[in-house]
Amino acid sequence: MVFLAAIVTSACGGAKPDAGAEGTGLRVALLTPGPISDKAWNGGAYAGLERIRDSLSAKISHIQVKTPADFEENFRQYAAAGYSFVIGHGFEFQDAAARVAGEYPNTVFVTTGGETVRPNVAALSFAFDEPSYLAGMAAALASKTGVIAGIGGTELPPVKTSFAAYTAGAQFVRPDIRIIVTYVGNWDDMSAGREQALALARRGADVIFQNADAAGLGVFQAARDTKGLLVIGSNSNQNAVAPGLTLGSVVIDIPHAFLLVAREIASKSFAPRVIRLGTANDVVRWEPADVLATQIPAAAMARIDSVRGAMRAGTFTMPGAP
Amino acid sequence: MTVADGFLEATVRSATPLAFAALGELIAERSGVINIGLEGSIALGAFVALLATAAFGPATGLVAGGLAGAAIALVFATFVVTLRAQQVLAGTAVSLLGLGLAAALHRISMIGPDAVSQVVTIPVVTIPVFSQIPLVGPALFAQPLTTYALYLLFPTAWFFLYRTVGGVVVRATGENPEAAHASGHSPDAVRFGAVVVGGFFAGIGGATLVVAQVGTFSDGMSAGRGFIAIAIVALGRWHPGGVAVGALVFGAVSALQFLAQSLGWSVPYNLLLAFPYLLTLIAMAAFGGVQASPAALGRDGATRR
Repeated sequence: MVFLAAIVTSACGGAKPDAGAEGTGLRVALLTPGPISDKAWNGGAYAGLERIRDSLSAKISHIQVKTPADFEENFRQYAAAGYSFVIGHGFEFQDAAARVAGEYPNTVFVTTGGETVRPNVAALSFAFDEPSYLAGMAAALASKTGVIAGIGGTELPPVKTSFAAYTAGAQFVRPDIRIIVTYVGNWDDMSAGREQALALARRGADVIFQNADAAGLGVFQAARDTKGLLVIGSNSNQNAVAPGLTLGSVVIDIPHAFLLVAREIASKSFAPRVIRLGTANDVVRWEPADVLATQIPAAAMARIDSVRGAMRAGTFTMPGAP
Repeated sequence: MTVADGFLEATVRSATPLAFAALGELIAERSGVINIGLEGSIALGAFVALLATAAFGPATGLVAGGLAGAAIALVFATFVVTLRAQQVLAGTAVSLLGLGLAAALHRISMIGPDAVSQVVTIPVVTIPVFSQIPLVGPALFAQPLTTYALYLLFPTAWFFLYRTVGGVVVRATGENPEAAHASGHSPDAVRFGAVVVGGFFAGIGGATLVVAQVGTFSDGMSAGRGFIAIAIVALGRWHPGGVAVGALVFGAVSALQFLAQSLGWSVPYNLLLAFPYLLTLIAMAAFGGVQASPAALGRDGATRR
């Protein structure tokens, strides 16, 4: 399976062989934990890889991996093949990056999420909780039933943090709101994602914030099948996945973040660190859909905007943050 | 009441793709072949169903999904029946082949402006009167047509296996291929046919995920249903009635998991997910699963000794 994916990637990824005048000779590889067809976390990462290819005339390669053993093996493969920049797309790639980095000093390993730093390892840290808080505000303000929900893939720490912020945002505008947080148990089973959403709709939930990658596409399908059910997307801008049924998306501009690091590596100015990106530099943002304005009054919209303004200005403190 | 309704409806919805796949596995296993490659048939069936539904509509989508599942099973049958490869090894390889092929083709199909990503799912058809039956009415009689097809297919499978000559030959091949051969039937031909037909149903099971449930495809969306189907056949003791009940049991456990989380029960969801497998093990141990299985199951169908 992995081999097939690799063959296909090299077949479509090598569409631009000429490096051009600005050619940097940069070779960039991406490891994703799930399929890039999810229109979310993994799809956004592939878009980021393509952005690097187009902006820096880099050569790119992508592979989908499943287990921690795969993470390490593919990190090694790419580093040994001379790739200068290898991205492990997720918090869960940290350990593998730390283990292999010492053996391949000429390759920079970056994990999307996490806190691990080595001389050639950096982590992208997204303040995903800030827009999640705004999403919670929007969900609570738009809910007619007073019940809102969240559906995650598995209980990864970033997902839990995001749902905690979503809950805090909802309670900030509506202290009596009921919030139900659930997990599909994986990130792939769209049918299970849909069933979980339908079960939540039965309990009265009318807004569901999904953070379950491909399985989350089943949540959008549940909204198509259930009158009055609205969805909040995550990671990529998913407002077009189910137009009219999506309140907004908690977006990470993954392409922007990837390009930022790629430019540093290309210009040899890379410094290992945790690269913190958030609302202030617009890499992570709440992206309301047009539907939102029809669901909540202008005063409520203004309330969300004022909190967003405080986040931009750096004057906002997340409840429960250390 | 609404809690029970939602739960039972979710049970039948979750059971539908499993029941198609388990029916396919039942036919293969009654002929003496364990098809562990079923997951591959489901995955490719789901993907092909998406493309065919987008081009020609859901009926064609379901049939095309079935044919894709049969094609994967054909590869398995060639290795296992014709070339006498070990069933478990060949099954594992074919499972990975189907998953990988579906993922690779999906990726290729996503390129270009005409890429299909979403189709309209088939509607729920509410059957008058029957759907008014308290408790089970909406669960059994307010479903898509694909679920109703199973209400016909399971009795048909029973009739075929126990009341027709063809069924006797299939069962005889699963119990004692030498005897089947002695009575003038080719065990290889019977097994080949049973595996391919089984793959067809598994493919339709995958297709129902797309056509009747989510309207799109993603890698890994089969999510182990091919392996669950194998467990269902054992839990159902290799009998169509038992397999139908087994599919509902696994469907019920999925539904319970969704229900428990939506009610905010503090049971770890992972534990609920493990429950049906535990049940299968208990059933195998308690009711003597080994005795209930076809005697020549998993064994080479060669008649020379």
